[in-house]
Amino acid sequence: MIMQEQIKDASYDVLVIGGGIAGGEAALNLANNGFKVLIVEKDLSIGGKMILLSKVFPTLDCSACITTPKVSEISRHPAITIFTGSEVKKIVKIAENSFEADVLRYPRYVIAEECTGCQLCEQACPVIVKDEYQFNLVGRKAAFIPFTIASPKVAAIDIENCTLCGACEKVCPPKCIDFTQEKEEYRIKVKSVIIATGFKLFDPLLMPRYGFGLYKNIITSMQMERQLAPTRPFNTILRPGDGKVPCKVAYVLCTGSRDATIGNPVCSQICCMYSIKQAQLLMGALPMADVTIYYLNIRSFGKGFEEFYEQAKGMGVNFIKGKIGKISELENGNLKLRYEDINENKVKESEHDIVVLSVGVIANLDTATFFSEQQLKLDSFNFINQTDPLASPARTSINGVFVAGTASGPMDIPDSILSAGSASSEAMCYLIQKK
Amino acid sequence: MVDTGKKNARILVFSTEKISDPAIDMAGLLKLHYPPTIYAISIPCSSGVKPKWILHAFEKGFAGVFIAADGSDCPYGESCTEKTGKIVSTTHELMKQKNIEPARLRMAAICSVCSESFVKQMKSFNENLLKMQGA
Amino acid sequence: MNNKLGVYICHCGGNISDYIDVEKVRQSVENEEGVFLAKTTMFACGDSNQKEMVEDIKNNHLDGVVVASCSPKLHLLTFRAVTERGELNKYNYVHANIREQASWAHSDDKAGATEKAIHIVKAAIAKVRFAESLVPIKISSIKSVAVIGGGVAGMKAAIELSDLGCQVYLIEREYFVGGRVSQWDSLFTTNETGKELVTRLYNDLVKQKNITVYTGAEVISNSGNIGDFKLKIKITPRYIKAKCNQGELQNAIDVCPVEVPDDFNFNITGRKAIYHNFPSEYPQSPVIDIKNCTRCGACEKICENVDFTQKEEIMDINVGSVLMATGFDPYTPADGEFGYNSFDNVITLPQFKRIIDLSNEKLTFKGREIKNIAYIYCVGSRQVEGENKYCSRYCCTSAIHAAIIAKKKFLNIYNFHFTRGIRTYGKQEVLYDESSRMGDIYLQSYENDPPVVTGRNDKAVVRINDILTGKREMEVEADLVVLVTGMVPRKDNSVGSLFKLPKGRDRFFNEIHMKLRPVETVIDGITISGACQGPKNIMETANSALSAAAKSYSYVSKGELELEPIIARIDKDLCTWCNACAQACPFNAIEMEEGKTKNVASINNSACKGCGMCLPVCPTDAINLIAYSNNEIESMIDALAG
Ligand SMILES: Cc1cc2nc3c(=O)[nH]c(=O)nc-3n(C[C@H](O)[C@H](O)[C@H](O)COP(=O)(O)OP(=O)(O)OC[C@H]3O[C@@H](n4cnc5c(N)ncnc54)[C@H](O)[C@@H]3O)c2cc1C
Ligand SMILES: Cc1cc2nc3c(=O)[nH]c(=O)nc-3n(C[C@H](O)[C@H](O)[C@H](O)COP(=O)(O)OP(=O)(O)OC[C@H]3O[C@@H](n4cnc5c(N)ncnc54)[C@H](O)[C@@H]3O)c2cc1C
Ligand code: SF4
Ligand code: SF4
Ligand code: SF4
Ligand code: SF4
Repeated sequence: MIMQEQIKDASYDVLVIGGGIAGGEAALNLANNGFKVLIVEKDLSIGGKMILLSKVFPTLDCSACITTPKVSEISRHPAITIFTGSEVKKIVKIAENSFEADVLRYPRYVIAEECTGCQLCEQACPVIVKDEYQFNLVGRKAAFIPFTIASPKVAAIDIENCTLCGACEKVCPPKCIDFTQEKEEYRIKVKSVIIATGFKLFDPLLMPRYGFGLYKNIITSMQMERQLAPTRPFNTILRPGDGKVPCKVAYVLCTGSRDATIGNPVCSQICCMYSIKQAQLLMGALPMADVTIYYLNIRSFGKGFEEFYEQAKGMGVNFIKGKIGKISELENGNLKLRYEDINENKVKESEHDIVVLSVGVIANLDTATFFSEQQLKLDSFNFINQTDPLASPARTSINGVFVAGTASGPMDIPDSILSAGSASSEAMCYLIQKK
Repeated sequence: MVDTGKKNARILVFSTEKISDPAIDMAGLLKLHYPPTIYAISIPCSSGVKPKWILHAFEKGFAGVFIAADGSDCPYGESCTEKTGKIVSTTHELMKQKNIEPARLRMAAICSVCSESFVKQMKSFNENLLKMQGA
Repeated sequence: MNNKLGVYICHCGGNISDYIDVEKVRQSVENEEGVFLAKTTMFACGDSNQKEMVEDIKNNHLDGVVVASCSPKLHLLTFRAVTERGELNKYNYVHANIREQASWAHSDDKAGATEKAIHIVKAAIAKVRFAESLVPIKISSIKSVAVIGGGVAGMKAAIELSDLGCQVYLIEREYFVGGRVSQWDSLFTTNETGKELVTRLYNDLVKQKNITVYTGAEVISNSGNIGDFKLKIKITPRYIKAKCNQGELQNAIDVCPVEVPDDFNFNITGRKAIYHNFPSEYPQSPVIDIKNCTRCGACEKICENVDFTQKEEIMDINVGSVLMATGFDPYTPADGEFGYNSFDNVITLPQFKRIIDLSNEKLTFKGREIKNIAYIYCVGSRQVEGENKYCSRYCCTSAIHAAIIAKKKFLNIYNFHFTRGIRTYGKQEVLYDESSRMGDIYLQSYENDPPVVTGRNDKAVVRINDILTGKREMEVEADLVVLVTGMVPRKDNSVGSLFKLPKGRDRFFNEIHMKLRPVETVIDGITISGACQGPKNIMETANSALSAAAKSYSYVSKGELELEPIIARIDKDLCTWCNACAQACPFNAIEMEEGKTKNVASINNSACKGCGMCLPVCPTDAINLIAYSNNEIESMIDALAG
């Protein structure tokens, strides 16, 4: 129970919820134009999904190299305050240009200002758990730095798994591990709010016919993404079942998208492209590998995308227009795909040694919890409803609350960045005009 | 461990702050090794290298000079590749006059993620220079 | 020459010190000329070390600082800031990269890595000795923006900029604002009509006090740079007085004897030489198309608002930034391409949109009622042979949406879609579902085997080898064939050349970086938005327009801009004004300056980007780049060679 007097007050011009690329970009735009911003990020690091990606389509530039300079600019900016490991509990709109948000900061059990990121605590910690930042491909310690390019790059103690053995405390040179930290509650006054809470990945356990979770050599595209990233868990591409380097890779597109039977009729807009990207990177990393992409339609619609698709075909990636019926496992751990080959109008089977499910973009339902007194409308797919999508795409059903990035629907990085520009621009007008 | 008994050629690399130097950094990040006698000086754009700097490097004992050019990624304009190429050919002429083999000056476009290609280039350049030394 | 230097060598935890003998590096450099103190530190970027550095610099009045640590991309700015906090000008800081380019790159050879690090630090010391205190170049910036193009992108950006407090000049080449969108009726995905949307935006626009709208206007020249572009605008008159009587004008239109094809309706109808596109168009005043007007004077006799004495005007405006929003052209098929201009019932999607809008009750074209409609997709996009390799992104959704609207508005419509794989990405997918549920037929052709259009009686026959039914040959007799044409850059895009805007592979204007700087161009101060940067639907156009507006605003909002002072410098004694540098400079930053005894080159500080392209071309070596001068580079080479 937190006492009323422990609640800390603070005020900013704009509250940005979510520190992914969209939230970060919006915050920078505002701060560079002289507004004070608070970013509330649920995770231990800002950067969202993008900071964890390998290279990005369609230019194939390294995602970390684009994200890290942005992230460090955000964290260094004098007009931006960042709360990581924090959540917005409730926002109330009191009047135009006046919102009150209750924010909860969870303890990290490390004095962030003093931690030097030396990783000694990590080495000392005896507890090993699954590493969520590597999408469970490998393990991490209970005292850990989320990932090498995390921002802030400081340790945290995963208190749920920590055995309180104190090993980390002993080795920490600046003595910054502090098990006495407690939750802190803030009451934040702001004039405008930008929601940039991003998206969730479709959970393929909801499609049992694909056998994800049952068969070890079926992974999600995000797990493959990690294997291809510069901060990758292994030094090469491995299939999780037996650590073998795969040579026949299958991609199953539209997993969890364009399918009303699983409740998501819309196209996720990014999975065709990221699969084509991964296929190209795989051909580079494993020159002997065969990569086959099973698709319904290839949606390479953006600037340079069609050319990128053609490039993949030119490199020898196989594209099969086909619907996957069922996936089953063979004795050697390989997988048998039963599919309808649409070009040939036949049901066929094929064998692969690893299957990547190109999982879709699902709405992040956290957005439904922010407002209790005003209604923040969602659309029929549970993304934030854009009340004037053609003329003012960042507007929501609450005046003064704007949406940036994939919180309003599937989008790739370039579109997320433009959407963030749009949201920050509208917020600036709202602040200046006081309307 | 490489055979430390083997001597490597001293190479000066002109890299560019926005494009090729990041690639060289990434080669380090990925621990793609190359000879430690290779040094980079980074400048804004590869079409700003003065031939006299290159000659100066040879005078001071560098065995080779490599221009890690911006190529088509140059933030200052498309003419970069052509201009850098011209610097190389002008310098080749000057080198001939001083009896320095033109093969000691090389250039290649290194994009901001071309780490592997950079390392490949460096290894082969080093080999070639060592051969020239031997010959 | 700086002579009191502080040098810091970082362990970076162990990232550096595991492979490099950091103490040996320190000892090797502490006696270099000019070095006052040399220290090692566990984490140079850590707060405690930063504090220590600030104290060192202040207490000892250091005049140069070197930190040997990670890549400058990570922490150059951090240590420049530290230097500044130590009350030393930040340009007296030099960064030495001994992590990415030494400890990590040579983690297989500790002795080699240490040796290399020593040389790198010595080179940085050599460089910092020549470092100068510099002040950022400050230029004043006029708090006004020129928005070129008055479509959705331009109008939206203009409103935004004005809300933010800028003076805005909206320059539209046509006589009416709204761009392409005013040509479309019902829009995906809201079903608002294009006219309604344009009306909404126009109402917002005219409410703003600080927007000046010029129609019939074009930029004809540009000089100046970010902060102060000097534009000349040519304004052609409407030949109609500003305050006019709509009724009289309608009579004048009626009597005009000249009739020409109406390009607003993509030539499916005609219009007079005095015209408006549709009655509620903005601004609400017709215009005389002087090229086609015969000066018969018929309109003048009826209506006193006609004024043939109006003259072309040239205006000069000064703006701090330019925002481009010149949009796109629909692709025009070649004669014979899918029967275009060979059969008279083969039309384009934009024409089809106009026909839906213009038809009531029955969908008719050239007097014939339309029932069977065949849509051929990707015309002018995703070309196998032609040069337009890109997908135009809006057209699948637009064609499907138009087909749905046609089916809802008129009876007995049958839609047949000849696609190359439908691309209704994102939430637009529900339109595809809806149309499939309404019974539209979808066929898909092979990449190298496009549908073929032939004639039979007064119908066009579209034939296809269909992927979706296993290569079966299918045939549809269509009353109307709609070519789903893509987007191409404006035919007259000369305004781009005027500003030297680069184009991408697709010939649309190109951004600097799709993810880092998506609305900026390599020309400082010029932003791009909407479909002139690449195909976009309206929502995407609005997002990019608002982003560009915010960017342009940031150039002008403070009334002043700071530019990095790393620019070229001319040694006037050596310069013989041969003009070679001026020709090499991609930014026109070098001009001739008349001197007392001779003419010399002179650098325009606010235009020079510090690329250095002028350096190697100077025959007398009269140009140096600040921070990269001969002294600096050559002494670095000496240190590295030693
Ligand atoms: C496998 C894969 C590969 C991809 N590859 C590419 C590519 O190559 N090129 C490309 O353009 N795009 C790619 N994408 C798409 C890209 O990841 C997205 O476009 C982008 O990350 C969207 O950014 P965002 O900021 O909107 O959302 P996110 O990245 O999801 O960020 C949202 C942020 O909000 C935080 N958050 C969530 N809920 C809360 C809450 N309640 N309170 C506070 N904070 C919260 C999250 O922790 C996160 O930091 C890929 C996606 C995937 C899945
Ligand atoms: C057939 C068709 C149907 C469509 N339907 C939809 C739909 O239903 N929903 C949807 O979201 N999108 C739709 N679109 C896309 C939509 O038209 C574009 O997104 C939108 O028009 C882009 O706006 P813009 O302002 O960038 O360009 P434009 O609309 O092209 O406007 C550019 C303006 O700049 C002016 N201009 C050009 N050059 C100069 C110059 N040198 N000097 C001064 N002014 C100049 C032009 O006259 C024009 O007014 C459709 C497109 C087509 C082709
Ligand atoms: S040991 Fe201490 S300083 Fe080092 S990473 Fe862990 S918490 Fe941070
Ligand atoms: S982007 Fe491609 S893979 Fe993803 S849902 Fe759409 S069609 Fe399927
Ligand atoms: S959007 Fe559809 S019709 Fe348009 S080019 Fe792309 S695939 Fe072809
Ligand atoms: S440094 Fe570059 S921008 Fe400056 S004058 Fe020389 S060529 Fe022009």
